[in-house]
Amino acid sequence: MAEQTQGAVPLSAVIADAATGVALALRGEGDPYALSGMLRHEDALTPAAVRVLGADALAPYAVEHRAAPAGADDEAVVRQALMAYPPGDGASEVSLWSYRGLVEAAHAFLPGGGRPWPPAPEAGTAWVGDSPWPKLSHRVSQLAALALPGLASGLAERLAARTDDLSRGFVRAVRRRDWPQAAGVGRWLARLPDVPQTLGLDSGLAFVAQMGGADPRVALHVAAARRFYGRGG
Amino acid sequence: MVTDRTAPVETATLAAEVEGLLEPAEADGVFRDTRECGGALLLAALLLISPPTPRPKTDVR
Repeated sequence: MAEQTQGAVPLSAVIADAATGVALALRGEGDPYALSGMLRHEDALTPAAVRVLGADALAPYAVEHRAAPAGADDEAVVRQALMAYPPGDGASEVSLWSYRGLVEAAHAFLPGGGRPWPPAPEAGTAWVGDSPWPKLSHRVSQLAALALPGLASGLAERLAARTDDLSRGFVRAVRRRDWPQAAGVGRWLARLPDVPQTLGLDSGLAFVAQMGGADPRVALHVAAARRFYGRGG
Repeated sequence: MVTDRTAPVETATLAAEVEGLLEPAEADGVFRDTRECGGALLLAALLLISPPTPRPKTDVR
């Protein structure tokens, strides 16, 4: 954990607050969601929090029939994050995909105001075929924010070929009581077709929510699986 | 505690923290091994039902 200025809120706390707000919005609770209302433009940690949350920062805008559309302030917050934390040279696939997901979500859910968004970086999918299933599941859980309707369709196609392996990964994560990984993989499985009935994904996700729901990002993943794909009870 | 969300933070440090949070290491698993649990339960049961240690009789006269 990086050192913060004394008295400052740690980044993880800002991310947790924001994740709680997104999960509430996905469950249809609380005030109408506005990214710029939850993470203020002038906060030093806002761009970093948006970069870590990735496309999830905009997930409530993917909900149909929203009460309030995204505004110019939301757009400014996302632009700030994309400018401040682009993937550097030699960035990992997770970093590339996460950035790409945020760019794709901005294209899809924010008006843009006539200004172009940064180009989405090329991100490879060779690792999907090459990784052993435990490693694949871990990496996929890190990219759970991409399991939103219409995002990362190329990645979703490749992952569909490894649905059985991701199912194994989900069970492994639950047995290890690794709730963030279980929630992330479960969210992706909710998006994929042909998930084995024998997996019991719905009751599995409900169990993960019960056991690990105190973690805001676990709650967010379960809420997204339920909201967008009707899984998890 | 009073917290300040606008306190300056080192940009490079924050960038490294962001990368770390994007790709956290896999958490150590906490397993509940059925065989180990069963063994512990059996041992506890045997201890409970075992007869008390024989002690020499003390004749009271």
